[in-house]
Amino acid sequence: MKLLTHNMLACHIKGVKNNFPFMIEVTKVETCDADYDPEFLRHMFPRIVWPAFLQGAEQMGCRDGLPEAATEEMLQEDTFLKKFHHALLEVRLQEGALVCPETGRKFPVSKGIPNLLLTEDEC
Amino acid sequence: MISRSSTKSCCAARLQKKTLLARGRIHTYATLLDALVRPFTSFNKISDLKAGIASFYDESSPLWEDMWGEHMHHGYYPKGSAPKSNQQAQLDMIEESLSVAGVTEVTNMLDVGCGIGGSSRYIAKKYGCRASGITLSPKQADRANEITNKAGLADRATFQVADALNQPFQDSTFDLVWSMESGEHMPDKRKFVNELARVCTPGGNVIVVTWCHRVLQQAESSLRPEELSLLDRICEAYYLPAWCSVADYEKLFTEAGLVDVVTRDWSEEVAPFWGAVIQSAMTGQGISGLLKAGWTTIKGALVMPLMAQGYNMGLIKFNLITARKPYKIST
Repeated sequence: MKLLTHNMLACHIKGVKNNFPFMIEVTKVETCDADYDPEFLRHMFPRIVWPAFLQGAEQMGCRDGLPEAATEEMLQEDTFLKKFHHALLEVRLQEGALVCPETGRKFPVSKGIPNLLLTEDEC
Repeated sequence: MISRSSTKSCCAARLQKKTLLARGRIHTYATLLDALVRPFTSFNKISDLKAGIASFYDESSPLWEDMWGEHMHHGYYPKGSAPKSNQQAQLDMIEESLSVAGVTEVTNMLDVGCGIGGSSRYIAKKYGCRASGITLSPKQADRANEITNKAGLADRATFQVADALNQPFQDSTFDLVWSMESGEHMPDKRKFVNELARVCTPGGNVIVVTWCHRVLQQAESSLRPEELSLLDRICEAYYLPAWCSVADYEKLFTEAGLVDVVTRDWSEEVAPFWGAVIQSAMTGQGISGLLKAGWTTIKGALVMPLMAQGYNMGLIKFNLITARKPYKIST
């Protein structure tokens, strides 16, 4: 699971208000290469919730070099884009869990695939 | 002619069925095959729908992939077109759906009921977008990942085990929300459509391609008993909880706040498909594959002629429903 995906996910257990972002419990993280596509990064940037992204990056161990706040202007700087690209797309949680920030309920991540199915009582 | 609401027709249908059972009457069968297949499809059924769906695909996915490849949906065979392979017909189905919806660019798509990721990869390659796929089947998600990695598309498409009726995504996340032949499995069509609309970005497209039953006539409150019986067999084998018509879907789309709703009836265009599937099942590879796969898959195969029958009777329709999420939702 990449941080791009993490930024899209929220916990939909019935009644939960504080449902984003998931906390990340890391057992195994891997780094891989992803095609560097500045246009895609610029397109996705407005949809990324930056504080959630930073929190996720902290938990996945790739927070270094990312600014506290990011602006549209930074999207023209190659150094920023490369760091953004790396943390967003190249660091992957292979084993671990996504943890609901309100209930603490753990959703397992196995072979990079999160299992986000709710139980009958949680729907 | 708009049919009466889906809730009414589905409820009336279930009531009629229950009445038949309660009075101890013999079911009305659409065909002799329908009667013969009943004990098989009812035997060893998993009562929990989600577990049943996951189990069905966990078991049958590898065989389908062996025989048909990565796309787990009908092929598109319009009359008068040149002969083509079934795989090409499946790609044409994707292309035609995108064309009717008027999709010209995509940044971030969602594949609801993604199978082993065929649509996700195809659309990611076509538009250079990112794709997320959800499925109830952990084995399918695994396999989707594997194929995607091998295809060098791991940075474009990712897969999650999740429920289409309780999607784990934030509102307004995807500019294309895609459901290719997964709507059949949704027990609550309204919730299904509402979730599709919720996660779609304003200005984005929702595309649903699914099996429906025929639109009811004005005077009808439900399908005929023999039609219900045939659908019942199919539902049991494929873990399909409910059928509605394209008119019902159109209503749900509108009620979910989606606009510019467009539908298509492609029942004729997919007509050759079940014949082709049955043919492939009858081959040596098909039969040995079925025997190896297991009972659930065999049940699915037994019911294939009923699908063909359903189409021939004008009962089963193959429909596209597509719409846009407006920039401002009207309540």
